[in-house]
Formats: sequence, structure tokens, C-alpha cells
Amino acid sequence: MNNIERHITAVSPPPAQRTERVGPRHAVVRLLLVVLALPAAFLLHLRLGSPIGIGEQWALVVGREPQSFADVQFYFAALPRAVVAVLVGGAFGVAGSVLQQATRNPLVSPLTLGASSGAWLALVAGTVWFPIAAQYHGVWLAMGGAVAAVGLVALIAGRSGLSGLPVVLAGMAVHILLGALANGVTLLNEQYAVALFIWGAGDLTQTDWSWVAWLLPRLSVVALILLIAPRPLTLLRLGEGGARARGLPVGPTVLLMFLLCLWLTAVTVTAVGIIGFVGLLAPNMARRLGARGALEELLLSLFLGALLLLATDAVALCASAWSANLVPSGAAAALIGAPVLMLLARKRLTAEDHAAFRIMASQRRIGRIGLLGLGAVAVLVVLAASIAAPSAQGWSFAFPDALVWSLRYPRILAACAAGIGMATAGLVLQRLIRNPLASPDIMGMTQGATLALAGTAVLAGGTIHEAGIPVALAGSLGVLALIVLLRRRNGFAPGTMVLIGISLAAMADGLVQFILASGDEGAFAILNWLGGSTYRVTGGQAALLGAGTVCLGLACLALHRWLELLSIGDGVAAARGLAIHPARLLLLAIACGQTALVTAVMGPVAFVGLLAPHMAALLGARSVKAQLLAAPLLGLCLMALSDWLGRTMLYPMQLPAGTIASILGGGYFVYLLAARRPASV
Amino acid sequence: MKRLTGIAFGVFLLISQAGAATVTDSRGPQTIAEPAERVVALTWAFTEMVLELDETPLAIADVEGYRTWVARPPLPDNVADVGLRREPNFERIAELKPDLILVGDDQIELVGRLYQIAPVLYFDIYSADHDNYAFARQAFLEIGKALGKKAYAEQRLADLDEKLAGLKERLEARFGDDLPKVTPIQFMDEATLRVHAANSTADYALKALGLEHGLPQPPSAWGFALKKVEDLGAVDEGYVLHIEPFQDAEKLFGQPLWQFMPFVKADRFGAIPPTWTFGGPFSVGYLAEGIAQSLLEFEP
Repeated sequence: MNNIERHITAVSPPPAQRTERVGPRHAVVRLLLVVLALPAAFLLHLRLGSPIGIGEQWALVVGREPQSFADVQFYFAALPRAVVAVLVGGAFGVAGSVLQQATRNPLVSPLTLGASSGAWLALVAGTVWFPIAAQYHGVWLAMGGAVAAVGLVALIAGRSGLSGLPVVLAGMAVHILLGALANGVTLLNEQYAVALFIWGAGDLTQTDWSWVAWLLPRLSVVALILLIAPRPLTLLRLGEGGARARGLPVGPTVLLMFLLCLWLTAVTVTAVGIIGFVGLLAPNMARRLGARGALEELLLSLFLGALLLLATDAVALCASAWSANLVPSGAAAALIGAPVLMLLARKRLTAEDHAAFRIMASQRRIGRIGLLGLGAVAVLVVLAASIAAPSAQGWSFAFPDALVWSLRYPRILAACAAGIGMATAGLVLQRLIRNPLASPDIMGMTQGATLALAGTAVLAGGTIHEAGIPVALAGSLGVLALIVLLRRRNGFAPGTMVLIGISLAAMADGLVQFILASGDEGAFAILNWLGGSTYRVTGGQAALLGAGTVCLGLACLALHRWLELLSIGDGVAAARGLAIHPARLLLLAIACGQTALVTAVMGPVAFVGLLAPHMAALLGARSVKAQLLAAPLLGLCLMALSDWLGRTMLYPMQLPAGTIASILGGGYFVYLLAARRPASV
Repeated sequence: MKRLTGIAFGVFLLISQAGAATVTDSRGPQTIAEPAERVVALTWAFTEMVLELDETPLAIADVEGYRTWVARPPLPDNVADVGLRREPNFERIAELKPDLILVGDDQIELVGRLYQIAPVLYFDIYSADHDNYAFARQAFLEIGKALGKKAYAEQRLADLDEKLAGLKERLEARFGDDLPKVTPIQFMDEATLRVHAANSTADYALKALGLEHGLPQPPSAWGFALKKVEDLGAVDEGYVLHIEPFQDAEKLFGQPLWQFMPFVKADRFGAIPPTWTFGGPFSVGYLAEGIAQSLLEFEP
């Protein structure tokens, strides 16, 4: 992964250097304001959570016996809920701050490192397969999951990648992979699903003090962090070399910091589900408010985290009172926090690096014969997927009759088209952003479409299938508009795109969690759709998808010279007379179109866009043109195979093709990156 | 001669009509060969309806799930499984060569493809826009017609009404004219629950028994509202009955918040044995039975 490390520079300078404009006195005043805002928010939260007056509330807190149900509701529901919000928010704030300071990377947090989804997957799997262990030792399961996920991310990104984009991209990839796995487990175990939906949406509702009592000792790690972390974190601001020169054992220190933060994550996820966004947002706000020293940033993040979660939970409380159904806090936190993060952090991200794109090199070069061979393999895969099918009498390998074929071909066609579409979109993005980890699902285009479709389903009613291609296209194009709006003067910074991707992914997650938490029969349909299923695709839709993706793919092929020039560098492209900005915009629009088509017809499909171009490169497709031919063929094979596995593996039950593609693709991707690590250290 | 052909044609029409029935589903009148014998029921509400007609469906979706969650009426052993309800396996269904497929609610998108396999009846039972119970009863009659058991279907509904009337009488005998309010709920976990809303199976069971809802909720497609446990504090009169099972019962029921609930203090909290709340008309009967029995167990 040399190329990734070398060509993606850190997205930000160390936090300490960014505060020149804010004088120390201002910083103190702001710190004081935040510290004072916390009790105010706490009281406001209680006011919203309980009907009794503040005097009554105080009397109850200092020991008056509860008289009425309202008293009890205040003392055993409203008050512990506010306390849990403070505890969890504060813990996430501190965890995020430590991680960001240790890595000097403002986009790192338990959520973006994959820790939350690792903990979540472990808990979901535990609940389904080891219910007793999950009930009593859930936090250790969660800790194991979080450590494994972050370990994987660190393995992919490498130590030097921790301070830059690689760790964020790897974190997103692992987040998507683990999310797909958790989804698959839930889909096959409906009986646990409703409780899991509510837990996963991160609801803070309390019925007594037991969770507070459980959380307090486990979160006391925060005090330990505040005590021991500031000095090493201050030294780490000097850079690894500087820190080492002053006698800091950098490796063990960073490892310890990570483990403490993962513990905080595991504890909070076990208690309240996924409320990850606060950890990303609070430290960024802290720095924006002028936090200077390591301790100051930690403290400010602690208070801001608590403040943020109190505020978003207050919104969730209001919304729950107003709507027929409960609104989960985690969903509210993501929906509110994500846009704020986009506004806050975009200025902190430095512009793109101008290095040339370098693919994972292979010494070979794929020729015409190689491409023809690849085409032949694709034909064979499609043929195999068409004829091999299980039945009640065992496997059959004959070409199906007209009836069965009419039921089967739309699915195969849709899967193939999705493979082509996502592969082209991923390739275009990787070349344009000059970043081998770019893909529509990691850069937010898929999530934009998902957000638009799910949002339409929530606001206008109806199922998520009904919204259709225009809505998905609007969503993806909205992402494109955001990228254009937020871009720096000198072009499309990868950091900005990743930021948009993370924020939109969090918002889409939040909205979907909100729908799922209602837990009705329609929720399963959405979960299935999220898996990217070809099941509901009709012949007409499949034909449309096939025609659309092939046309857009051919358009890319026609524009391959633009893409080649742009992937070398803006300077070169401009020197050759290419109008850089319109060309880039058009290519990005094509990628958006591909993503929107696929997402509207079969739901989000992850990893194919990331992986197919890499596999093409590994097979020796080095020029843009060769890659534009090879990647879609590989994407087609991957999706046709995934769909076939989904249809046949658990017959007569079925799994969505996208889920299988994520597991296959994600697994292969992780293997690929991990296996290549040692060579480049 | 012309007249003769006319008569012959008329007779032919009559004969051909004898084996066909016109059944009205959510899409309008459908003509199907009668009586259907190889029936695939893709939601559990239809599984219930076919079984209540004393017929065995050829196949249903998620056999194991039905036995776990619905249980009543019991499912015979020789019913084939066509996969999960949200993605029933088209190819498996085609292989079984059914002569009627019953689909409902969110499965509307499947109708086109299933129609290639066999005639399809689609009933959108669960909707916020109509009386779900009346609609389910009508669907049951139409399905009875399709299965050649129209009279029997009417008989079964009459039996159901009689059973409900009997339960109502027993409640009136016990509580007098002033029947108590009842709030039917189902716990999700220790902190959240569903309140069965207007348009829910439980609400129709209440109506059939002449009971009023203690915490009325607006109608929604699936007939429930997700609430926090503390929201139950708003129930100021009558009984609260929860549909079992509830895994975290011990955890919640010992807490002060729960102990202080007005209906818990007044000892007006009871349980209804596990019942599928998204079924057909007979689920209303099972729920009414559970509600009545639970109410009758309280001390006068």
C-alpha cells in the first residue's frame, strides 16, 4: 500500500497550529461558556423530560420521597436519562479527542475507525448465537469487536496512515463491511430484530438508575485519561520523531490510548447502542472554539460531548412527544450532527495532493487476448448463474423453462448491470480523486441516494422501493452539488469528499435507524433493500438498469482520454488543452448517474466500486482504457456470483446480493490490503 | 341456425363459467378457476384464513416463523416452505405448481411475477386508510369463494361473531354495564413498548367486546405506536394488558417506576397469552379471548 501512503498526505496540520487567531483570554471565556452551558442544557433537558417544576425536581433530588407518578417519572426516568446523556456524550467527546490528538487527524473517532460497528456486530452476533454470554458479558464482546475492527483498520492504514486519509477510508470500508455482516445476521434472525433495531438506533430511554450505576464505574476511565493523557498527547504534537526524542515510547503510548478509547466505546455501545457521531463532532468543535493545550482540548471535548448529546436528545424527546412513535436519540444525533460537522471541519481540511494516481502495480500488462479471456469468463459466470439452481429434488443444471427463466433473468441482468455500474463509478472516482481507496459508497454518493430514497419513504409514506430513480438521482446529484459547493479553490480535495461521505453515511444511517426503530413489518423490507437485493427487480427495470449502466460505461470509455489526463494531474491535463473543471464535473456526474441507477433499482451496493478497479489493475489493466474494459467485467462477475450465492446458498431462503458482495468483496479487500502491508512498512 | 349458435354459445359460456369464480381483491374483480386446491399463502394472515377454512395450504412463507410466532391455528406437517415472507422464493413456488397464490400488504410488487406462475389474489389488509378488521373479514369471504367454500366461510365468521358475543356477555356479567377501559400493549425491551392503536387487531378485539381503549392512538398501517415505558403513566383508568412473551419482565416489573404506575398500584395489570397481532379475522377472536380471560381473572 505504498502508493496510498505516499500519495495521500495528511488531511490536516496538527491541531495546535491552528489556533493563532484565538487569543488565550478568548479561549478561557469560551471554555467557561461551555462549562456554564452544560447545567443550563441539563435543566432544559429535564424540563422537556418531566412535567413537574424545577423546585419540585430539586426537592426530589435532595431526598424528598416521591409522592405521585410524575415524581417517580422524574426521578427514575427523566433524571437518569439526562445523566446517561451526559455520561455517554462526555465519554464519546473524550474518546474522540484522544483519538484525534493521538493521530493528529480530525476525522478520526470511534465511529470512523469502525470501532462502533465492530462492537455492534459483536453484540448482534452474540445476541443471536450466545444470548446468555451477550446478556452478562456483552461489554467484553463489544470490546473484542471494537478492538478487532480498529486493529483491522490500523493494519490496513499502517502507522503512518493513521494521521491521514488512509485510516479514514479504511475505517469507512471496515464500517461498511461490518454493517453488512450485522445486517445479514439480523435478516436471517427476525425474532431478535425488533429489539436490535431499537438498541441499534441508540435510544437513551431509562427506567431506573441501573444503567447509570453500570456506566459510572466503567466510564471512570475518563478520569484516568484526563490524568495521564495530556503529557504524551502534548509530546505527540511534535510528531513521532519529536516525541520519541523527548523520551516518549510512542508505540506503547498510542496503543494504550487506543485501548482506553475502545473501552469507552464498547461500554457506551453496550449500554445505549450506536451514538457515534458525538465523538467525531465534539473535538472538532472544541478546536474551533479555541482549545489549545492537550488537556484543554480534552476538557472542552468532554463538556461539548455532554452538551451535544443533551441537546440532540432534547430534540429526540420533543420529536417523540410530537410524533406518534418514539424518536431514537442516536438517529437524532446523527441527523443533526452530520451537517454541523460538514460546516465545521471543511475549512480544516487541506487541499488535494497533486501526486499522480498509481494503481496497485502489476508487472503484467493486459492485452486484447487477456480482455477477451476476461469477457469469456464473464460469459461463463453468467451462464453458470443462469442454469445452476437448487430445487426440492436437489440441484439442477439444465437451462430453465420459459416460466422459471422469466423469473430468473431479471435478477441476473440486474446483478450484472449493477456490477458494471458500480465498477465504472468506482474507477472514475479513483482516477479523478487520484486515490485508490475512493468509491461511491465511501465518498457518499450511494448514501446520498439512500438518504433521498429513505427520506422520501419517511416523508411521503410508501415503501422505499416506490421512490424510484429520479429521487435517487436527486440524492446523488445533491452529493455532487455539495462536493462542488464545498470544494476548495484549487479543486476537489479528497478530504472534503471523504468528509461529505462520512457525514452523509451517518445521516443515512440515522434516518434508516429511525425507520427501523418503529419495528413494523415494513422495517424488514427496508433492511432487505439496504442489503441490495435483486429480488424485486422486474424485467423492465432490469432492462433499464442494463441499458443505463452500459450507456454510461460507454460514455466513460469515449471520454477515457480525459480521465487519463486528469488522473496524471491537473497541470498536465490543462497543458494538453483540457477544460479541467467541466471535464471533471461531467465525469463525476456520470459516476453519480451510475450510482443512482443501481441504488434506485436494487438498493445500496458496496465494495464493488472499490474492488473491481483494483482487481482490474492487479490483472494488468494499467491504462484507463484497459481498466474501463476490465473493471466492469470483473464487477459483473462479482455481482452475478453474489446474486447466485444469495439465491441458492440458503434455499429456499435468500440473502440480498449486495450483502454477499459486501462480505465477499470486503473480505477480499481486507485480505488484499493486509497482505500487502509488511512490504511497505 | 344463427339462433342455435347463439344458444350453443350461451351454453358454452355457462359451462365454462361453472368452473370459474369471480373474486374481488384489492385490485378489483379477478376470475380464477374454482375451486382452488393447491394454495400458496405468502403472509401469515392468509395462512390463518386457509387453515380456518379447514384446508391445508400447499406452501407458506417461513414455516418455522409461523410455528414460533403465530402458532394458532396449528399448521399441519405436510406444508412446504417457500422462504421468508419478504422474499418468498419465486422458483420454489413455480416448482410446486400452485393454482392460487395469496399475497398481501407489502407484497404488491410481487403480484406481476407471481401471476406468471398462477392466479394471484392480493389483499391489502393492513392499511391506515380502511377498517382492517372489516377488510380482513371480506378477504376471508372472498378466499372462501375462491376455495369453493363460500358458505363455510360465512359459517366460520358467524361462529366467530358468536364466540365474540359470548365473551362480551361474560364480561358484562362480571363487570355490569360499565365495562372497564383496556390498554393493550406489547413490550419490545425493558424501556420501550408498542401501544396497539386504532386499526390494530387488538383494538378490534376491544371493540368486539364492547371495551374502550385506555390510551387511544391514531390509526397507522400496522396499528401500533412505539412508546417509552414511562408514557404508560398517562393511563389513568382501566386495565393494562400486555401480550406475552416479554423477556425482560423481571427487570422491569421490580423497578420503582413500574411499581408506581397507577394501574400497577391498583393491581390492574395483566397478561394475554402470545398471539399474532398481524393476522386475519380469527386473530381478533384469539386476542378477544385472551383479553376477556385476563380481565375475568382479576378480583372483582
